[in-house]
Amino acid sequence: MTVRKEKAERLADEELMPLIGEKDPEAFEVFYDRHGGVAYSLAYRIVGEKAAAEDVTQEAFISIWKSGARFDRARGSVRSWMLSIVRNRAIDALRSRAGKAPKLSFDDDAILEQRPAEERTEEEAMRRETASELRGALGTLPGEQSKVIELAYFGGFSQSEISRMLGVPLGTVKGRMRLGLEKIRGELAEGLA
Amino acid sequence: MTEHDHDRRSEDIAAYMLGALEQSEAAELERHAEGCERCQAEMRWLTPALDALPESVERLQPPRELRERVMAEVRFEAEPEAEQPARAGLIGRASAWLRNLGSGPMGLRPVAGVAVAVLVVAAVAGFAIGGGLGSDGSNESTTLTSGKAPGVTAKMVSDGDSGTLHLANVKPLPEERVLEAWVQRDGEVEPVEALFVPDRKGQASTELPDMEGVEVVMVTSEPRGGSPAPTSSPIVTIAVPG
Repeated sequence: MTVRKEKAERLADEELMPLIGEKDPEAFEVFYDRHGGVAYSLAYRIVGEKAAAEDVTQEAFISIWKSGARFDRARGSVRSWMLSIVRNRAIDALRSRAGKAPKLSFDDDAILEQRPAEERTEEEAMRRETASELRGALGTLPGEQSKVIELAYFGGFSQSEISRMLGVPLGTVKGRMRLGLEKIRGELAEGLA
Repeated sequence: MTEHDHDRRSEDIAAYMLGALEQSEAAELERHAEGCERCQAEMRWLTPALDALPESVERLQPPRELRERVMAEVRFEAEPEAEQPARAGLIGRASAWLRNLGSGPMGLRPVAGVAVAVLVVAAVAGFAIGGGLGSDGSNESTTLTSGKAPGVTAKMVSDGDSGTLHLANVKPLPEERVLEAWVQRDGEVEPVEALFVPDRKGQASTELPDMEGVEVVMVTSEPRGGSPAPTSSPIVTIAVPG
């Protein structure tokens, strides 16, 4: 391992981004190793196919490599920013594939059959634990609330489309989305208390 | 701004954060929120819930090849331009050839605009990333590509004036299609006679009997029996180290 990479590994994401903006491959490699797993997992969760998930992940990371300097610290964490890029690209890929229905279940058999990633760091292990807790929190949402959130976030449907799909008034969809997010937020706040 | 105005807009905050508003609706909410501290506070409050959604997905192990492809592209782009002039020239010529696919000799099918864009990506991403002598003294170069056929890995082994091209991770072809290799010499593209198909593991190999003066090697999918000139975008494009 190069000294530069060792040094990059000690940096926080926010400190890596300026280096990535200066086209430092070692910094980017550290960035990929930290977030490649969750990015690929999110892409797969949305597009439902390994090859398409790989394409989405690759495109997203290359776009970050090319535009790393555009990260705005004021708008949230690097990880959230990166995941929003992956999510947007995955939704675009999903929409471009005519006739493909999005995956809608958190308990999808195909996903559960996958071997989990090896835990490389304590931080990643904690994130997995958090992910498990979050799945629990999402699982406790009333079905109608989790459904609209899944359709919107993982399926890329608009609130009007969801209203038509479920045959419920638009106002009801808005309300369920809001209640669902507020409940998740409440669970997170309780977890921190 | 009235209380009623705020209430009406704030109904859409959750949908906005979930990406479930139409563009015009989202733009309208953003305009309102710029001057509405209550909306901004609500968004800040809900942000952790939104951030939790991608973190909640079941974790999968991304394939190692994905990391290799990403880093190959990153390292190529990070390489100082001065170190890649010959390669850039070859890739430029290959790209020009690719762009001219639709207006080439008789029998060529026009290439759609989208496909042309993909071709350029494939040409740019398809480069030799390493070279050296193999254990038997042959000259090896390994190429990673993306674009038209992301995931395909190519290795070319040259031995004197001949060579062998090995591909891996090639997706199965329809029954009526085969792979055809092409070489570019002095800017002219010519077919390699042998046609080939991937096996069940996605591996495919073909001999390149005359490598003298070859600058670029490409592989396309063609109708069974092959074509006198390429009719589709390459799945790999390899600049041969001089």
